[in-house]
Amino acid sequence: MNVGSEELPGSLHALRGEFEETREVQRTRRNEMPQAQVTMDVRRVSDRVSVVDVKGDVTAFAEGVLMDAYAQASEGGVQGIILNFEGLEYMNSSGIGLLVTLLIRVNREKQRLLVYGLSEHYRSIFQITRLDDAIAIHDSEQEAVKAGGA
Amino acid sequence: MTEEAPRPEEERKEEGGTREPRDAAYWARYAETLKVSDVPEGAAGINVEGRRAVGPLQGFGKMWQKTYRVRLGGVAVTPAEVIKTWKENYTEFWPEGNRFYAPLAGIAPGEVALISGSLPGGVKLSTGVMVLYADDESFTLMTPQGHPFSGWITFSSFEEDDATAVQAQVLMRANDPLYEMGLRMGGHKMEDEMWRQTLANLAAHFGVHERVETHIICVDPKLQWKEYRNVWHNAGIRSALYSVTAPLRWRRSRGSR
Repeated sequence: MNVGSEELPGSLHALRGEFEETREVQRTRRNEMPQAQVTMDVRRVSDRVSVVDVKGDVTAFAEGVLMDAYAQASEGGVQGIILNFEGLEYMNSSGIGLLVTLLIRVNREKQRLLVYGLSEHYRSIFQITRLDDAIAIHDSEQEAVKAGGA
Repeated sequence: MTEEAPRPEEERKEEGGTREPRDAAYWARYAETLKVSDVPEGAAGINVEGRRAVGPLQGFGKMWQKTYRVRLGGVAVTPAEVIKTWKENYTEFWPEGNRFYAPLAGIAPGEVALISGSLPGGVKLSTGVMVLYADDESFTLMTPQGHPFSGWITFSSFEEDDATAVQAQVLMRANDPLYEMGLRMGGHKMEDEMWRQTLANLAAHFGVHERVETHIICVDPKLQWKEYRNVWHNAGIRSALYSVTAPLRWRRSRGSR
């Protein structure tokens, strides 16, 4: 089910406002690693759930950025890690490989990995690579946050 | 090949009329099962036709990431030229003992290639791979159910310290308990040697005779016991049964004439 932002109940926005951390670190590594064309901002949306806003290209060069974002998102006993792919512009097979290794880390920590914001194209890639067998895909942040244990 | 081939650039628009992402032409289209459009002489599509493609999450054994890399130092060749050569001559770079039947359309997204090989112990194996992804500087093959491992192999080339490097990276789990045993009893060593030899052959094509570096990480030491039933599709067992029952098929085909 698609839920537009205007349909989001006020409680979710309040939740976001309340828990969203001001230390939203811009994780651009363009200066350090020119090939990493991606930013990943981390938002804490509840005590138990963090959202990582992925913007740009997910390729092998995104590994450092992704793992740093995961480390930050996991702070404080978070149980649900949500990847927001609304800003995803490009992904190759190495990027898919990164998601697999991230999933293994998440499972090892007894957390859950969820995603939302996938376009039809990227949903199809999740299907063909069989990532959708193990990573729950949601239509909206609200759904993902709910499923993530908030 | 899979049922739907990639569409030309001008047609690549999504339902809503918005432009598809710039990686759209590089990915295979989703198909529930694999379809073999052409079976070359000497190959068999029995363990590929109608099988699902499987990734490292669907396998049984430990998950490994194996990286094999060689630098083409002193050679003026771009990553795109290396990958073009690799795609066009993929079969030639394979080590002796296994045979890769390249798809007629070449290494392109969605195409399916057949493989004849052997497992430790000399068991003949008919299997294949699907081209999951292919761009100018990399391509990825994905295995079908029943293949010795469940996962992806990504071949890529890139600039590294003023030289072009070539890499093969496997992300895999043994597909079932029998294969897991086989990998532990010499299969890993055979596989490592195979990819090292492939890269050495590719490097030799460019006149380079450097050592192939190998980097192996166990990503997940856990066995996925829920996947033990993958053994039903075991291509080694099915290939052996197919060979054993060949006289019966021959008699049946004569009888039906």
